[in-house]
Formats: sequence, C-alpha cells, structure tokens
Amino acid sequence: MMKKCALVLVLSLLAGLAYAEDKLSLSGYVKNETSLREESLNSDLTKFKNIVELSSQYKIKDDDLVFFAKAKYWYDAAYDWSDKMDIGQHYNGHIQRTDWLRDCYLDYTNGPWFLRLGKQQIAWGQADGVTILDRVNPVDLTEFWLPDMVDIRIPLWMANINYSPKLNSNLQLLFVPDWDQSEAAYLGGPFVFRSFKEWDIFQKGQEKAGRVFDLTLRTPPKQLHNATWGLQWSDRMGDLDYTLNFLYGPYYNARNDIYFSNTTLTYTIPRAFKVWRIYGGSFNKTFTNPGPMQGITLRGDAAYYNDEPTYVGDPVANSTKGIKRWDNKFWLIGVDKNVLTSWTVSFQFAQYILEHSSSKDMSRAPQQRYPMNAFTYGPADPIENIFSLKLSSHFLNDRLKPEVLWSFTDDNQGRLSPKVNYELKDNLLLSVGIHYFYGNEWDTNGQFRDQNQFYTQLKYTF
Amino acid sequence: MRRLILLLAGITLILGYAFAGELEYFQVYKPKDGMSADEIMQIEYYVKYTKFAHDVYLTGKAYFVDKSGATREKETLRQRITLGRKSDDIAYKDLIMFTSPQVRGLGTLTWTYMNPKRQQDSWLWVPSLKRIRKISAANADDSFMGSDFTNEDILTRRFEDETYTLVKEENFKGYTCEFDKKTYFKNTPCFVIEAKPKKSPWYYSKRTLWVDKKTGGGIYEEMYDPTGRMFKTLFKEYVIYPVSGKDYAVQAMLEGKDPRTGHRTVILNMDIKFDQGLSEDLFTERALMQSRW
Repeated sequence: MMKKCALVLVLSLLAGLAYAEDKLSLSGYVKNETSLREESLNSDLTKFKNIVELSSQYKIKDDDLVFFAKAKYWYDAAYDWSDKMDIGQHYNGHIQRTDWLRDCYLDYTNGPWFLRLGKQQIAWGQADGVTILDRVNPVDLTEFWLPDMVDIRIPLWMANINYSPKLNSNLQLLFVPDWDQSEAAYLGGPFVFRSFKEWDIFQKGQEKAGRVFDLTLRTPPKQLHNATWGLQWSDRMGDLDYTLNFLYGPYYNARNDIYFSNTTLTYTIPRAFKVWRIYGGSFNKTFTNPGPMQGITLRGDAAYYNDEPTYVGDPVANSTKGIKRWDNKFWLIGVDKNVLTSWTVSFQFAQYILEHSSSKDMSRAPQQRYPMNAFTYGPADPIENIFSLKLSSHFLNDRLKPEVLWSFTDDNQGRLSPKVNYELKDNLLLSVGIHYFYGNEWDTNGQFRDQNQFYTQLKYTF
Repeated sequence: MRRLILLLAGITLILGYAFAGELEYFQVYKPKDGMSADEIMQIEYYVKYTKFAHDVYLTGKAYFVDKSGATREKETLRQRITLGRKSDDIAYKDLIMFTSPQVRGLGTLTWTYMNPKRQQDSWLWVPSLKRIRKISAANADDSFMGSDFTNEDILTRRFEDETYTLVKEENFKGYTCEFDKKTYFKNTPCFVIEAKPKKSPWYYSKRTLWVDKKTGGGIYEEMYDPTGRMFKTLFKEYVIYPVSGKDYAVQAMLEGKDPRTGHRTVILNMDIKFDQGLSEDLFTERALMQSRW
C-alpha cells in the first residue's frame, strides 16, 4: 500500500512539474446525451448516455516529439431502465472492447518527415457524412450514422508515415497491423439494423423447425500479410488541392455466405472478412478570383472498390443469398457557399454504382444476382443516387448556432435532422435536435422510420 | 503611331500610379504631414496587416461581453508568415489554432493573395471530423469569430475597397477602454480620415478613422449604417516593438462595441514575437493535419 501511495505521489509530482513547464496539457469533457423516441403520442426514453473523455498531451522534445493519448468511457442507463431495451444492455449499454482508448500515439517531426505511431484514426476524402475514401478505420454504427465521425471511426494501431518532398505536398504511407471489425447495434437498441432483426427471426424459426446453424466467424489472423496498407499522395496544382489514394486490406464487415445441406439439415455459414482494394482520389477548389463562381468551394471524392464483398439475393423475398465480390464505384461532388451574411449552404450529390453481375454469373438463379442492402437485406439499387443539403448559421455572437441536415436518396427515403447549439456558458454547451427518418422499411434510412427522436446533449468541457 | 505612343504613355502612367500605390514589403513606413488621405491609408493598411514583419507569433484572448456583463472567453494561438510573393500572388498566410477547452483543436489556415479582388483560400481542421475541410471564404460582413468585428474589419478589407477623404488633423480626445478602465491615446496627434465603401449597398455607409501620426495605426473608428446612424466603435491599441533596429507597430488590444445590442468584444494579443524565422511548411494542410485535439 505504501509503495502504491509513493508511486502515485511521484507520478503526481512529475505530472505537476511537467504541467508547470507547459509540457503537459490536459483537456476533456463530461457529456450527457438523452433521446426520446417519438411514436404517435407515446414517448420512450431511448438514450441516457453519460460520457467522460480525457485527453493529454506531453511534449517530450518541444513540438518535435510529442505523446498524445485520449481515453473515453460511457454508460447508457436507458438500457437498465427500459424493459424493451434490456436485452441489449450487455452490448449497447457501455463502451465495448478496447474502444475506451481513442488515441495513444507518438508524434515525431523532423524536417520533411512526420511520423505518427500508435492508436489513431485516419480521415481520407472530402465527403461529409458519406464514407467513400474514409475507409481506413472500421466504424461503430450502434447509433447509426448520427454521432460525429470522430466517435464513429474505431481507432486502430498503425504507423502513419509522412514525407513532404516539396511545399504543399505530402506522401503518406499507412501500415496497419491491427484489425477490428465494424460494430452494429445489438437487439434491443433503437438502431438495430433490419438485417440483424430479420436474420434473428429467420434463425430462430429455422431452429424451431429442427435445422442447425454452423456459423463460423473467420477473423483475419493478426499476421503481416493480413495487414492493411494505405498510400496517399496530396499536392496542389494551381488552386486545386488533390489526393490520390490506395488502400488494401481486409474488409471490416463480416459477410455471410450461406450453404444449406438437405441431408444434414444444416446451414453452413462462414462469416468472412474478405480482402478488398480501393483506388481513388479527391479534390477541392475554392474559386477565389472575381467572377460568377467567386466564393464557391467545390470538392469531391471518387473511388473504385475492387472486390468489395456485396450482398446479392432475392429482391422479391427480401432475402440475401450470399455475397459476390464486385467491383463497385462510388463518387461524390459537393458545393459550399456562404450566403446572406452568416448562412452556409452545403450540397452534396453522390452515386454508388454497383457492378451488375447478371451477364457475368449465370451459375446463380436470376433472383440471386441482384444487389441487396447490407443494412436491411432489402433490394438495393444498382445505382444509388444520394443527396444531402445542409444549412447552418450563427446568431448572438456565435452563441446560438442552428443547422439543418437533410440527406436523402432518389427512392424517397432519407433523414431530416434540425439542430440548435446554444452556448450556455463558456464551457457549457446545450444541443437540442430532432432526427426524423422516412421511407420504405427496406431502405437504409427508412428502416428507422419508427425511431424518430427528439434529443438533448449537454456538454461541459475543461 | 502617335495614338499608339499616347496609349503606351497612358498605360505607363496608369501602371506607374498603380505601382506607386503598392508599398514594398518588409519596410517600416510612417505617415507624414502633408500626405494625402490615400497615402495615409495605404500605410494604415500596411501596419494593420504587419507587412513590415517576415513573421509574427502571438497568443490571443477574446472576451465576449453582453449587456448584462456576462463574459465568455476564447483563446487562440496565431502565426503569420508574410511573403509578398508575386509568382503565386500570395501576400501572407495565417494559422490560427483555438486553445480554449470548448473549441480546443479547431484550427484555420488562411492564405491571403496580393490581388485585392481575390478572396482568401481557407482550410479548417474540424476536431469532430478529425479532418481538414476546405471552406469558402466567410462573407465580409459576417462577424469574426462571433465578435463585434466583422471579417473584413479584421481580415479582408483592403485599401482598394474604399475611397478616402482627409477630414482634419487633431489631437485624439482619448479612449477609455471598458475592459481595463484605462484611457488610451489622450492628446495623440492624429489624421482624421473618412472612408466610404465602394460597394453599395453595404452594411456601412462610412467610417471615420483616427490614424496615429506616430505609428500609422488606425487607433479608433466610428462606423455608420446606411441611414447615417453610428452603429459601432472600434478601438485598437498599437504598441511599438523594436525588432532589429526597426520599430514595429502592432495591435496589442482591440475593443469593439455595438451600441445597438450593448455587446462588446475585447481581443488581447500577448506574447508577441516577430521574425522568428517561421518556416512556410508550418502554413500547409499537412501542418493542420498534425493537430491532435
């Protein structure tokens, strides 16, 4: 006990000395997120999440060698209080696995070199809310795509090596020996994917009928040849910033292939994380010179997904029959402009173009060649057109910040999310908003049409 | 032929006037008696944007005070490199990192061009996205960081945006700052300049500016709306920093007041360091990407 006390005392003294020398910086926040599901006249509490996050930075040698770490913990009491949600308490009610360590890395800068070694997240691309090139890290979708991207990406241990051969350019090499799978909400949570629920119903029904499920999750062994590799070249050509990107590694979502044996009445389902590749690029340009385009920012991403594991199935029965490794394409263009003194308008259009296999794989029945939505097991458009429009502004000396985000597709499904941020005090921020989902129950947003919610967030920073 | 010579002579005159209008970078200029309003204001802009210094490093604190006296506070770390480079038209580059808890990590990189009609290029590091977001230049009449200053008050207004008249020369009556209750620049000899925006309609119809004869800094101004009513006062405390035998005048404190709302903003610039030899590599997207918070 004495030894522990002495150790704590020494560490506190060292931290105090470092803090006094401006070597150590600490920061963090405490936050409450509360959501109410609004269905007809009955409201249910669907979230009462309390979060604490602490970040620390220690400058070992000025700005040349710096250690940074961020830890986070949260607990959602709504899973304890609601009988309907109780089933999901174990998986959805508190932070999972090693997700509590959000960042833990060492930064080393020397001339044109910059190295970031450790647990971190990487954001590629220019798209907002649509992950086209932003695929280096797996994602946590237990609350769908509603949280900030910094909380959606699951950090991984990696070496992030950068070299700048000339001003405004950068070559980035990523070596990610770590691996994790993307997360989705477990049954009981408000944002459980329909595919998960449908599968659960199917499995239980089949098991009652005497069928057996042989389900194996084949995670990639942590070996060098299963590592993820990334390469990004960034440069500026005139007024145009551009990147060229390449990513190779295991897909972060397990994909089921299904085989049924009539003799043993067994479903054999290997759940595998297939290797895929991304070839792509991004750009941005602001028109700064006088003319009709002055003040407009254009930005875009384009990616060619080689061997992306894609569900195919029967669009009539809304059931998946397995996966195909298709070469899909995804591109986006965004336009931003500030208007009327303090308003910002941001519009995006994206197309996700799935490889159409009908003429290529004649071994499967026609109904098994159609692409299926991985979130719902409903039919997916071979070409999905995605739109988003965001309006934001600020009033009362930046104290009041309203915004509206409307994201939708050409299938009459989408999400409307108005929100207001109000700075109560220096370090106290209140957010109030609504998420309104609409569309077909088999569509990505439409599946949550019964989960419209009103929410508040109160955040104290220090 | 005669016409051609006349045309060339005309062009030479126009160009000569234009070039005479540009003050060379990295020099120290001070206004003198007998200068025209245009000449005084060229120096005022030159001093305002610290074009005399190769680079500037400072920490800033901004206080936002509403009419009830409730105060909010934001801290920044600012760096600027002055380039005045004609090959790629870049006048200077600014990097501002927010260091106060609520917005810690938020950072902006801005490149300002020499062509006065050209807008700035801006990049934003957004901690909630953990990525750089290219952004359109903010509207000139929008508030700067939620303050009582507009973006053009602080960042974007250029000499070419207004026409100037020298109203008179007088000793400034002094400004009592609400932040520290001190009176600044009492009986300081000043040029009084009336500046009218070329843009019309615009959110102000004119501003009356007191330019310190000693430094060339615009120490106080009153702004008038299109109906002729005064709607804002801006005060800037300029102090002299001797650097390598030269006297650099720099804004140490700014106070903006809006009598319509009773709101005021105070910006303090501290730990000011000039000509530290900052590298241009610090003013790139990669440098912004290295943000940790």
